[in-house]
Amino acid sequence: MTRPTEPRGRAAPGRCVHCGLPVPPGRRDDPEPFCCNGCAQAYRLLHDWGLDGYYALRERQGAPGAPARTSGRSFAAFDDPAFLERHARELPGGRRRIQLYLEGVHCAACVWVVESLPRAVEGLVEVRLNFATHLAEVDWDPAAVPLSAVARALDAIGYSPHPRQGSGQAERQAEDRALLIKLGVASACAMNIMLIHGALYAGDAQGMSESFTQFFRWVSLVLSLPVMLFSAPAFFRGAWAGLRQRLPHMDLPVSLALLGAFAYSAVATVTGQGPVFFDSLTALVALLLGARYLQQRAQRLAIERHEGLRRANLVEFARRLGADGVAVEVPAETIAAGDRLEVRPGELIPVDGVVLDGRSTLDQAVLTGEPEPIPVSAGERVFAGATNLGAPLTVRAHAVGAATRVGALLALVDEALAARPPIVQLADRWSRIFVVAVLALAALTGAWALLGEGLTATAALERVVALLVVTCPCALGLATPVAMTVGLMRAARAGIFVKNPGAVERLPAIRRVLLDKTGTLTEGAARVVLWDGDATLAEQVLALEAASIHPIAQAFRRSWDKPVRVVRPVDEVNETAGAGIEGRVDGRRLRVGRPGFVAIDAQAERRLAPALAAGLSPVLVEVDGALAGVAGIGDRLRADAAATVAELSRFAEVQILSGDHPAVVARVAASLGLPPAAAHGGLSPEAKRDRVAESTAGGWPTMMIGDGVNDAAALALGDVGVAVHGGTGASQVAADVLLTRAGLAPVLELFTGGRRLLGVVRRNLIFSLVYNLCGASLAFLGLVGPLGAALLMPMSSLTVILSSMVGPSFRAPRRRGA
Amino acid sequence: MALIFILLPLALLVAGVMVALFVWAVRAGQFDDLETPAVRILLDDEPAPRREEPPPTPTDSQREGERS
Repeated sequence: MTRPTEPRGRAAPGRCVHCGLPVPPGRRDDPEPFCCNGCAQAYRLLHDWGLDGYYALRERQGAPGAPARTSGRSFAAFDDPAFLERHARELPGGRRRIQLYLEGVHCAACVWVVESLPRAVEGLVEVRLNFATHLAEVDWDPAAVPLSAVARALDAIGYSPHPRQGSGQAERQAEDRALLIKLGVASACAMNIMLIHGALYAGDAQGMSESFTQFFRWVSLVLSLPVMLFSAPAFFRGAWAGLRQRLPHMDLPVSLALLGAFAYSAVATVTGQGPVFFDSLTALVALLLGARYLQQRAQRLAIERHEGLRRANLVEFARRLGADGVAVEVPAETIAAGDRLEVRPGELIPVDGVVLDGRSTLDQAVLTGEPEPIPVSAGERVFAGATNLGAPLTVRAHAVGAATRVGALLALVDEALAARPPIVQLADRWSRIFVVAVLALAALTGAWALLGEGLTATAALERVVALLVVTCPCALGLATPVAMTVGLMRAARAGIFVKNPGAVERLPAIRRVLLDKTGTLTEGAARVVLWDGDATLAEQVLALEAASIHPIAQAFRRSWDKPVRVVRPVDEVNETAGAGIEGRVDGRRLRVGRPGFVAIDAQAERRLAPALAAGLSPVLVEVDGALAGVAGIGDRLRADAAATVAELSRFAEVQILSGDHPAVVARVAASLGLPPAAAHGGLSPEAKRDRVAESTAGGWPTMMIGDGVNDAAALALGDVGVAVHGGTGASQVAADVLLTRAGLAPVLELFTGGRRLLGVVRRNLIFSLVYNLCGASLAFLGLVGPLGAALLMPMSSLTVILSSMVGPSFRAPRRRGA
Repeated sequence: MALIFILLPLALLVAGVMVALFVWAVRAGQFDDLETPAVRILLDDEPAPRREEPPPTPTDSQREGERS
């Protein structure tokens, strides 16, 4: 490999060449500094593969960089025949195709790099990356390259691949395409009919010979046949289904207007008597299908993206130990109870089981809500979904897949999601009244024309048809979908991803907000919160802790990101598990550890007190036998937590539901200004779920905000469930709203934006009803002919669309890359 | 004016061909992803030299630890 000579990264000093993030101490003086090994590896590979163009492209797009998070897996599981059978399909010519969900896709340059990968990996034929869903379609030649090598290449440059989860994608795609073809056919026919009708209206005004008029009418009839027979049946089926369930919705008045107007116009064409409405009815079908397509498309995008995410955080593979003691990576589904598995640091425990060998610490926060890492050693039970923080472990599987604790929790989530009643959307509630009103009005018009004005039966029928066309709820049908689609797209760009649009309608009613603690109110990672000691000591402590993977060492590194000016000689390092670390730094003897590992006297007791009072784990630093500093380490509250809770408290009752110790939860509640009664600690996932169920059953419209697997069932049961940024896959599946921006402040934006969005919807609905009322009164008096209907209808629809576009729903997004 | 009896069906025939083309395009998947092509068009003009030597495998190049 050649060393790069030309400066390719344009990163600022002290910034990672690959991603632009600050470089940790000790690496700043490198000619090309990197923030992490992942970035360094990605940078070199991109150069070696001739894909340096990535940086220039990213620069040109003004897109931010992102650190290359590599998993370092061997991806041997991807070569398993059962895996390929399940996820990949064969193409002619011996090639295969698979859909992979890629982590870490964040800008347009990512698309370029991923799609250029076939240049670097022989046997990789083509990659197409969907930027919106982060799904890559990969074609490769199994004879030339195993899929695991392709996966390793993607992983090495920071796009960890996962097999696509979820089913029904092919059906959804077929459905989307079918709807688009229906829309295309309807639009083409409607526009041509509109042209022909233009001639007819001109003929009405200036006179046109009978043969032309009849010809034009017949052509319109023929052109509207595909619309009625191919495009419109979607509405007829919906209307019929609504009738059978005795829940008439918007499709019913639409179908009535279409069928009535078409039948009347067809008869009028054949007999050569009376007006025709072909232009209005086909335009109606095209407009309504267009709105439906837009809405469906936006919803599909949400589904696709989050099906991809769904298991990205959950157990996907395991390392099975063979009889020869060699660990082989296999798909998680193939593990059976009794198998011996190896779990490396940083990986998830794939099964419920017992530790056979090794000592380590586990992070179970997503399962239990306790932020403190749990030490484990041989003979102790471990649970699937926990993260191994320390050293490699050998585990014997007792329960796998759905039988694990986390599997049971996920089953709870599915149960809760299935039990949710469907939401009746605002527009559908309105349309029920509307259907009855239109039918009554139609009957009244017919009766009045016949009896009151003494018209003939055909003239009365003409009036009824004009009424049906004019009152057809086109604008009403557009009012909600267009406003929602526009509003939710803006929300998504502002970092608020609304998966379930119905949740927006429930936002204004929310009167109770339940929050998880670990990872939601707090950052979910230990930091040095208190430091009582000399600031210059930091560098020495960091130097000593540099090699340690213990959570305390990570907390120091995370908190003290300070440049190290002098490389400090460190030797005689000795780490005592569960107690502390000692060593010689700059020739001075340092001991860093818990009280007991570092000797304490009365003075030390005094200095420990503030940390203990704040509920933090105290860590002492001793230099040459004398106490030099005390650090209080704990899970810090998010910067915007207090302000957000205060704001939420103005209109809702805020409570904390946590699996952590009640005393800790009470302290967090106090620091947020919440009364002690609002703090609930020591809750199991089931207890959280029951709390939410009780709250909603007790008549409190409840919002649940959380991040862990243990919150997922509660999120699904709340009237609105919000998963915060960085949460687990399970919480994202269960929630209605996902935050894709860090922090809690987006929750407030969700409330204000949602309220404004509902305002726009309501404004649209009121406008379309007023229009219908005016149209209906004109038709009732027989003042609306085909031309009037053809002018009024698109005008009202256009107004509704404009009103949705300019509606102030969610705030304009900050400028983001691509 | 009688020409219209021939021209109008002819125009509709052309429109029919357009609709058929549209249906073909949809079936071929050209409307499945409307976002990436918008991004992709910005990328294609980037010169990317094709490398002749065999590419290193990802595992060969984990050399990040050796500089200090």
